Amino acid sequence: MKKLEDKIINRIYKIETRKTIEKIISEASLIILIVLSSLFIFSVIVEILNEQSSFDLFDFLRDDFETIRSFFVNNLLLFVQELPLPLIYVFFGLLLILIWLVYISFKNYNIVKNKLVSLYKFWVKKLW
Amino acid sequence: MAELSDKDIIEKIRNGEINYYSFIVKKYTTSIYRYIERKLFKKDEVDDLVQNVFISFYKAIEKFDEERPIKPYLFQIVQNELKMYFRSYKKSFPLDEGITSDDKKEEFKIEDIKLLNIQEKEIFEHIGEGYNYEEIAKIFKKPINTIKSIVRRGRIKIKLACASKK
Repeated sequence: MKKLEDKIINRIYKIETRKTIEKIISEASLIILIVLSSLFIFSVIVEILNEQSSFDLFDFLRDDFETIRSFFVNNLLLFVQELPLPLIYVFFGLLLILIWLVYISFKNYNIVKNKLVSLYKFWVKKLW
Repeated sequence: MAELSDKDIIEKIRNGEINYYSFIVKKYTTSIYRYIERKLFKKDEVDDLVQNVFISFYKAIEKFDEERPIKPYLFQIVQNELKMYFRSYKKSFPLDEGITSDDKKEEFKIEDIKLLNIQEKEIFEHIGEGYNYEEIAKIFKKPINTIKSIVRRGRIKIKLACASKK
């Protein structure tokens, strides 16, 4: 019976090792992919705004306080109008997904950590 | 460690401390092994089935209601595993050359069977041409369940006719 119990535990650990590694790799790659995509889209947005010289709208910030107060809202609205909206939506969508993924990862951090500790102990004990 | 209840163990496993699963395995292996051993004819497959039971339980542990006792749940898995086992070991006969060649000789035409009425014959002809039940139902302007019933009745008639021929 002891042998059978060991067999069962062995199989459970094998399944769990594979599952945990797959989960970690898939989550990490998804986060990396989303971060890279967000950075790429952000750079494209900045590039577009540069080409349109939209950042010039903020030159007034170097002036005195009275000028800033009178032009701030107007220039800000103009800037928003010049933004490439579809790309902005995609960018914020990706950011939301990223925040959600990071939140899930933090929430499951303890579980994953405990699993990794258990797996490490088991395999170290088995190998040595 | 021995004071831990099943509920605590389940909570710990859910929390990622999978080493606690060995407590469940040690606690229930003997009873499950004996139960399966009594039911199976091939003793060498008992080990595999016991393993499958515990693996199935481990996979279902996230959904398991920890307020419920483990043992009945485990035995329910045992029942399912045994069902699957017996289903996979149902007696089956290989289709040998003789049977296939005899089938060719005994081919029948729908027209030959007098028992089928005109409508049934037409429906069977449509099935033979590759129409599905939905399409046939549209052609005959009848509900799909009626078509299915007609086909079922027709099949029974054909079976009876074939049996009486033999």
